[in-house]
Parts: sequence; C-alpha cells; structure tokens
Amino acid sequence: MNGDNHQRHGRGVLKTDGPTSPTVHDEPANGYVPRFDALFARFYPELFGLVYRVLGDRMETEDTLQEAFLKLAEAAELQSRPDAEVGAWLRRVGLNLAFNRVRSARRARERLQRVGRLEAGDDSSASGPARSVELDEQRAAVRRALADVPERQRECLLLRHSGYSYTEIAATLGIAVGSVGVLLARAEDAFRVHYRRLEGDHDQPI
Amino acid sequence: MTNPSETQPDISALIASLAPERLPDAHEVAVARERLDWRRAHTVAGSDSGASVTTQRPAAARSRTLFASVSTPWRVAGGGIAAALALTLLVAFTPQGGSAAAAFLAQFRSQQVSAVEITPQSQADIVRSMNALGNLGTVQVPGGGTAADPQAVARQAAAQSRTATAAEAVKVVGFDLATPDPARLPAGLSKTPTIKVSPGTQVRFTFDKAKAQAYYRSTGHPEVSLPDKFNGAALSVSIPSAALLSYGSGSASKDELIVAQAGELVVDVQGNVSLPEMRDFLLSLPGLPPTVVSQLKQIQNWNDTLPIPVPVDQVHWQSTTINGSQGLLLNDNSGVGSAAVWHANGHLYGVAGTLKADELKRVADSLAVR
Repeated sequence: MNGDNHQRHGRGVLKTDGPTSPTVHDEPANGYVPRFDALFARFYPELFGLVYRVLGDRMETEDTLQEAFLKLAEAAELQSRPDAEVGAWLRRVGLNLAFNRVRSARRARERLQRVGRLEAGDDSSASGPARSVELDEQRAAVRRALADVPERQRECLLLRHSGYSYTEIAATLGIAVGSVGVLLARAEDAFRVHYRRLEGDHDQPI
Repeated sequence: MTNPSETQPDISALIASLAPERLPDAHEVAVARERLDWRRAHTVAGSDSGASVTTQRPAAARSRTLFASVSTPWRVAGGGIAAALALTLLVAFTPQGGSAAAAFLAQFRSQQVSAVEITPQSQADIVRSMNALGNLGTVQVPGGGTAADPQAVARQAAAQSRTATAAEAVKVVGFDLATPDPARLPAGLSKTPTIKVSPGTQVRFTFDKAKAQAYYRSTGHPEVSLPDKFNGAALSVSIPSAALLSYGSGSASKDELIVAQAGELVVDVQGNVSLPEMRDFLLSLPGLPPTVVSQLKQIQNWNDTLPIPVPVDQVHWQSTTINGSQGLLLNDNSGVGSAAVWHANGHLYGVAGTLKADELKRVADSLAVR
C-alpha cells in the first residue's frame, strides 16, 4: 500500500502534495516578504499540531516554532523552493528541535513540575477531572513509549499518525517513499513493545 | 485504521491523543508572526551574521514589536497593549460608588496597577470589540493622522521608538531614570544597558453619529443608533513617554533583562456624555467577555488603577510589594521568564527578563535613581 490516500488525522490544514502542487506564493519581483509571510501562515498551524504532539505544551511548542521559522527566515534560498520541500524541511527542523527540548534535562524537570497544571489546561476536554487525569496519564505513557523508539522510527510514526502521507514522510526524513512502509512497521512494533511494557509497569503493585 | 487484534494498542488513537485540543487561530498566528519579527530584529542587531535577513521588514514593522519580547510575559504584550488600552478605557469609565459620576469632565490618572485575567479568547474578543468601536467614530493621532483601530495606534506609537543616550532618555520621559543595582544583575548580563525611548502620544476618539449610523446599517442593524449626546463626545488617552533599558548578554545567549519606565497614563472624557452613560455604553459593546467586565467592575479605585491584562494560560501572577509599592509579579509558565510591574510616585515601572521570579524581584527591588 502506498498510503497517500489514507485518511488524515488532526492536521487541520488543507494541504496538497508533491512538487507539482500549487505553491502559496511566488513573487519573484517582490521576493522575500510575501513569500515568507505566506509560508508562515500556511505552515505555522500545521507544524504546531505536529510539534505539540512531541512536547504537550503550547508555550514550548510556540518557542520551538519560533526557532524553526527563524531558521527558515535565514535560509533565503530555501524559501524559493516549492511548498512541499519547505514543508518537509520545516517538519524535519521542528521535530529535531522538539526532541532536543525533550532531551534537555532542565526542560524535562520543569515539564514534570508543571505537567498536571498545564496539560490539564491545554489538553483536557470538559469531561471531568478523573477523565482528565486518566488522559494525562495515557498521554504521558504514549510520550514515554515514543521516547524509547529509535529516533528515525519515532519520527516516522509520529508523522504517519499525525496524518502525513508517505510522500511527505519520505521527504521529511530524506528517505525513499518505498522505505516508509518498512520503517513504519518497525516503528509500530517497537512502540507496541514499549507501550505494553509501560502499561505492565503501571499495573504492577508497588 | 484497523487493529490486527483486540489486544493491540490502537497506535493511531494513542498518538492522536497527543494532538492539541485546537490549532492556533488566525490571531495567534499573527501574534507569533510579530514575535518572530521582533526576534529577527533582535537577533540581527546583536550579531554580526544574518545580513540576509536585516532588511526584509520595514523598520517600523520591526520596532512595533518593541515590547513583544521572547519567552517572557512580555511576549503577549504585542496584542496586549491594545487590550490594556481597552481595559483602561473601560475601567476609567466604570465608576464604583458613583461619587465621581457627577463629574462632567472625567479624568483617569494611573497610579497603581491591578491584574485582570484574560484568556487568548477574551483578549481577542476585547481587541475585536475595541476595533469595532472604531466604526462609531474617528481615532485621531498626533499630526492630524487617523488610525483604523487601537492596535494600529499602538503600533504607530511603538514605531516612534529610537535608541537614545541616558541624558536624552531623561529629557524624553521627563524624570530621572532608575537603574538596578549592578550587583543584583545576573552574571553574564551587561552592566551597561542599551536605551530606547518611545515618545508619548495622545490618541483621541471622537464619536460620530453619522458614521455609526452607516456602520449599523451596513451590518444589518439599522434599528440600532448611537444616542444623540454621544455625537461629538470624545475620549482622549495620553500615553506617556517611556524608556526601555535593555541589559543583554551578547549574541551567544538570549538572556536579557529589560527595565521599562514611563509616566502616568491619563484618560479624559469630554462632551455631553455623563460617566454612567459612557460606562453603560462601553460595557455594552458587543462581544466583550463578561468575565473581564466583571473583573473591571471589582476594581475599587477605578479612577487611578491601571489594569494589566494577564494571560492566565501562559502566566502566573501575584500581587505583592515591589520596590516599596504594590505591584504584580508575573511568572511565565514555561519557567523561562518573569516580570514585575508596579506604579510609584507617578511613574509606571516594569522589569522583565529571562530570570526566575524571585531573582527578578530582587533586581526590581534594587531599582533606584543613582
């Protein structure tokens, strides 16, 4: 299966694929400003959805996106590339920055300190505190399991289940489209193992 | 997506549970875009690289985000300035107790601060309501210009800011600048600040019945009209000159401390409208968040209390004594930055930086004219 027609989850952004897709703006005469603005408007919300899945914190996500778009602002040549390429680059940079943050011990400590407070505010639906705690625990377990999956596989998994196509995943990770399926299968296997282990730990009496 | 077996975790659903409840709306994207402008201007100014990005935005666009600092409570101020202005107007014309209600010419002079909790939604609602107010009259700024909405006014004011020497800054703000005790500054920060000044300005809003009529008609509400006595009535907001002292750490680090100081913010109302009428009118602006209106009504000394909008989804706040006066200590949820705001001796002070709140408070407490 190719997967490009697979139903997408939660990106909330209309998107077309491939280098032949229409670009948001090409303005050779006026160059940078409108092009960058258009790229920002187009990719910011989408990238927010992706990076938030890694960080689980709106403010950290905003900060990470600032870093990513600063890098894009400095890459004048990249901005002239087709949208699909810029999008893939932004996803790659965004994920790298996000996982770097996760790795940072200081950030991790701070996150632990405020996980209850912020995640409740950010994530919980209006279905009561018990449900909210349960969801928070589940999210924490999913993030921990993801953290144990090898980096490449983890990114593939996250992208796929965030609604990205095989073509987009391949472009983001810099691999052949034909390799995505294998990588994804490995990633899902690894995730299952780690997630079950966490569930097992959770069920063990202390 | 199908599950191979009942016992398999549904990976798709599990990862979907990590998704944000909502994606940023257009307003939040716009704020993020402005913040990026500020960061780019800031980064370029502090480094010797990045020549390719120095001239891509007009100077006015870069400086308009003067207050929209990075990873600190000031980050929200880009949109918050307009909200603060809006809140000030509402507070100024929301008399409690009625003793001042008889005054024909009312004046608000900021002498103290109070937090008003807002959310991204309520902030957007306030800005939208105030922008809609622009349809009921004319906003005038110095030089005879007109501006479309309060945000544009705030941007115009910020665009006037420029770098200055300490002596020039004193001349602009009209009082001696206070500086922190150098010994209290965090290690790594320059002991000598760069100074920017933003000259004061006056914004005047004059109600115009004919314009309001046209607006109501165009929005499908011909039955609504501005009361006759509002025609020609004016709100005049005097925004004080401000000085910003930045203690940076060079291009290698983003650590920064900003000390801001300004005079009083003064609001006058003129014309045939009484205070209760003005209050009723402003509070009835469509779309104003009831929770914000309710907080404003609870401010006791409404005629000299400057409401500071605090985005509670991003910032924790507490009312405390700062440098001997009542003030607000704000703490960025991310743990990256904090800020203090207080009013003393007719001056408004703010300190913000990439410091922990207690450390920042020590700097704020050490502020003095030296």
